[in-house]
Amino acid sequence: MEKGLIAIGAALAVGLSALGTGLAQSKIGSAACGALTERPELSGTMIILLAIPETMVLLGFVIAYLILG
Amino acid sequence: MIKEMTKVQIVGPKTHRDRCIEILHELSIMQIETVLEEKEGFLKKVPVEKEKLEEKKRLEKIREALTELLSVLPTPSTAPPLRLKKQHIYEEFERLAPLMERAKALYREQEELKEELEMVSRYEHLLRGFVPLVTALGGLKNIEITGLVVDRTVPDVLKLLEEELKRLTKGAYEFHSKVIDEDTIAVVITYQKKYSPQIRHIILGEGIDEIRLPQDYREMPLFEALKEMLKKKMVLPERIESIKRELETISQTHRPLIEGLKRTVEDAIDEIEVLYYFAESRFLFIIEGWVPADRVDHLERELKGEFEEDVLVQVLEPAAEELDRVPVYIENPPYIRPFEIFLRALPPPKYGSVDPTPYVAFFFPTFFGLIVGDVGYGLVVLGAGQFIKRRWKEREFIKNAGVVLSLCGVSAIVFGILFGEFFGTLPEKLGFHPLFERMEGLKLFMLFTLGIGIVHTALGFIIGGLNLIKRGRTEKALEKFTSLILTLVIILMVAAAYNYIPEGLLTPLVVVFIAGVALLLWLEGVVGPLELVRSVGGILSYVRIMAVGTSSVVMAVVADRMAGMSASIFTGILVASLIHLLNIFMTFISPVIQSMRLQYVEFMGRFYEGGGRLYRPFSRR
Repeated sequence: MEKGLIAIGAALAVGLSALGTGLAQSKIGSAACGALTERPELSGTMIILLAIPETMVLLGFVIAYLILG
Repeated sequence: MIKEMTKVQIVGPKTHRDRCIEILHELSIMQIETVLEEKEGFLKKVPVEKEKLEEKKRLEKIREALTELLSVLPTPSTAPPLRLKKQHIYEEFERLAPLMERAKALYREQEELKEELEMVSRYEHLLRGFVPLVTALGGLKNIEITGLVVDRTVPDVLKLLEEELKRLTKGAYEFHSKVIDEDTIAVVITYQKKYSPQIRHIILGEGIDEIRLPQDYREMPLFEALKEMLKKKMVLPERIESIKRELETISQTHRPLIEGLKRTVEDAIDEIEVLYYFAESRFLFIIEGWVPADRVDHLERELKGEFEEDVLVQVLEPAAEELDRVPVYIENPPYIRPFEIFLRALPPPKYGSVDPTPYVAFFFPTFFGLIVGDVGYGLVVLGAGQFIKRRWKEREFIKNAGVVLSLCGVSAIVFGILFGEFFGTLPEKLGFHPLFERMEGLKLFMLFTLGIGIVHTALGFIIGGLNLIKRGRTEKALEKFTSLILTLVIILMVAAAYNYIPEGLLTPLVVVFIAGVALLLWLEGVVGPLELVRSVGGILSYVRIMAVGTSSVVMAVVADRMAGMSASIFTGILVASLIHLLNIFMTFISPVIQSMRLQYVEFMGRFYEGGGRLYRPFSRR
């Protein structure tokens, strides 16, 4: 039982943070597409902006790892 | 590295001005700036002489003509542009005049013929349908021939049309039709000319399209027009091809001269336009601008060699408000230079700030290698990098990206040897024992990546802090160092809480933390402590090196396992190859973006100051 709860906890940590990252990236991605049609030279900045929310899922991953011990 | 720049002033008698401009142009080391006028003093901006302006106009006309000529010549020649002397511009241009006329006339003819061919081609399917009919009827006098295009999908049109014709001409007509395609039927009707108005009226009323011939053929009888068009269709491609060949020959033999002449003309225009930046007194001219500090001696020597003591070079002390406008000249050793492409995504660094290129040149391939860590994938990346470098050697940016990719490949090979990976964990199955097994030592690898994060972020803070001290901005430097210490303290506190370091250290660490936060609040306000959270989060995010790397290994291992599970060896190899291929494709995207992001956000974010003005010396094209 306890093991199962731990596993669910770890899954939630990664899963929810991945959802959060995906949500943020979808908004940044669509805004980036709009901006890039007007100013293609911003592509570098846009890649960086797109990669920023990934921190969330990585933090989720670390937490999951700590939960699983 | 951002090179130190010196502001210099060149003063000399007006008689030497033009020669001095030529020397500066040849040296290509000085970014010329506008000399400020003295309202009360003797320095004035003198309008450029009339004859110079007239010469500029003449040169601009030549440039325009050469640009037009180059635009009509096909296939750029591989030979480099010739280097010509300014004095020979007019003479060479005169020599090119007949060629220019010929090329332009050829190009015009080619365009007209192409247009005609296209138009004739549009009529082709109609021509094919009509010619046999018209040929049968050709040569009759007082007889009108009308060509029509009838929509097949509308029922009974042909029947109605024929009935009307019969009624109007009392049976004196000929009616021929031929199916051209699914939707169209071509119809040719012949009748006596006197019935022409009534018949045209019917055709209009039925909504049938009469064949409208192009302008050039409109006056001709239909039969003649069609014959002429078919003839054209046969000869036009050959003529177009021969013009194309002639233009290619002209391009092959004369393009280096034309391009060289255009550059010389542009250089000559630049030498006139630069006069707008100068100031003059009654007898002297004055030029001001920026020169890399280590090239000032060279400039002095060159000018002295030409004018002895007549032209003087003085080093000026830039005013405080000018410091923000100092041009930024980035120069790195050749093996680091390709990494300057990372600066392209950012505004140029400010003069006096730090150029991150040397650091990126070390950390970017290292992180990439740590993430990929596979000899096989590394070899693929190295091969792709070398291919890109050779294939696009003319294009600086792409070539540099190829070099960067190659170095990333080498790094992936080195770490691949360390991790014992070659397209997954194949070597292990063959009995090789890696120095460090990523899949088994995940926790250790995670702590290692966190360690890298601490070092990388701390280095960013230190570089930024030291640079601020150098520029006399001690308060800002103090903020940087306080943030760094607090970030480290937070990490040590977590380490103490999890017993990675003695627990007894926790209390002194908390005391340092409280004092640090108070200092930061005083220095930066509420933003300071908030930034701390970002710093700590940033360090934790270095775990991505381990996470993305592990996912890549897992993919490779899955590929190998699926190959082993397959009954047939060929299916096994095919499946494994497909998964490896997908993984290699991902290798080109994910590790590059992850490594890039760590450089831009976590590292450069600590010290990079944009808003600089790139150094553009007055140089020949």
